[in-house]
Amino acid sequence: MSFEWPWQYNFPPFFTLQPNADTRQKQLEAWCSLALSYCRHHKLYTLDVMEAQESPMFNNKKIERKLSMEAIQIVFEELRKKGNLEWLDKNKLRCLVMWRRPEEWGKLIYQWVSKNGMVNSVFTLYELSNGDDTQGEEFHGLEEWMLLRSLQALQTDGRAEIISMDDGKGVKFF
Amino acid sequence: YKERGTVLAEDQIVQMSKQLETFKSNLEEFASKHKQEIRKNSQFRVQFQEMCATIGVDPLASGKGFWSEMLGVGDFYYELGVQIIEVCLALKHRNGGLITLDELHQRVLKGRGKYAQDVSQDDLVRAIKKLKAMGSGFGMIPVGGSYLVQSVPAELNMDHTVVLQLAEDHLLKEGLAWLDSQAAGEPQYWLPALFSELSSRDVTPEEANQMTP
Repeated sequence: MSFEWPWQYNFPPFFTLQPNADTRQKQLEAWCSLALSYCRHHKLYTLDVMEAQESPMFNNKKIERKLSMEAIQIVFEELRKKGNLEWLDKNKLRCLVMWRRPEEWGKLIYQWVSKNGMVNSVFTLYELSNGDDTQGEEFHGLEEWMLLRSLQALQTDGRAEIISMDDGKGVKFF
Repeated sequence: YKERGTVLAEDQIVQMSKQLETFKSNLEEFASKHKQEIRKNSQFRVQFQEMCATIGVDPLASGKGFWSEMLGVGDFYYELGVQIIEVCLALKHRNGGLITLDELHQRVLKGRGKYAQDVSQDDLVRAIKKLKAMGSGFGMIPVGGSYLVQSVPAELNMDHTVVLQLAEDHLLKEGLAWLDSQAAGEPQYWLPALFSELSSRDVTPEEANQMTP
């Protein structure tokens, strides 16, 4: 299924950072929403800022408009404040995009575990994200760093424990 | 010589007055005969209005009085005015109080239903002028051959030939316009109210709230 762009994406001024404070607020909210939806649709978990500027997400070739680097940084800062983005480097060139927060992933994973009567079993991280059993689940294909944070969230909740195994990490669910 | 000149002038004035009186009473007779026509036929209304204008008569001048009673013309425009207000209020959250005359026309017609009287854009313009005169915050901005109807009293101070290009301080400040700095040449200003994709689609209230303050 192809990505459905919101109508703002074809509105040329949407790609210019608005001078009016109220208008800019609405604009940034719409951009945050667009960025998260796009990443979610394409299952993108990390973004390279330079690449992002040229990607269709911020660059609409059809109407010849794109977000400036300054505007992209402002959108990313908004996402960071909302807890949907984390910088990987000091220079702010690469970031993690959490279109679903760790707590939300944790809940999905736990639901699957309990639905299949597998509470008290132990899984390797690989089994969870790439195993045959989880094919078709939304968390299938989840990148390890995100999976780990999600399990950490469950651990904080007392519903899982992350354990070290011979060749990596695993998790036990309660 | 001077006296003769005055006498002649007086004569002429008396003549003219008589002619005007005759004309006026013919008009009244015409109007009463064609009352039905006036209510039903928008084309007829335009011509009637133009006729009245040439002799300096405003059929809408008063809610009571000859024109309104004889013809019900006033009622027609006052009712229309109310309809216009309703449409504008209903859409304000979407377009910030600015709507094209075309869209207003479509929606008024839709609201009146199949069997109601025909309403033309000329009718709308007159009704809006009435509303404006009553101080209800309505205005019309000429744009490319038609009009933008403004139902929110924001300060729009502009030369009517450059609406879409410039009025930046006011329009931007009011949040009615968006700046596009990537247009070829000079920066341009866009009004979400005129963006056809926005007005032709059915935008949900949540989506609409995202665009207008």
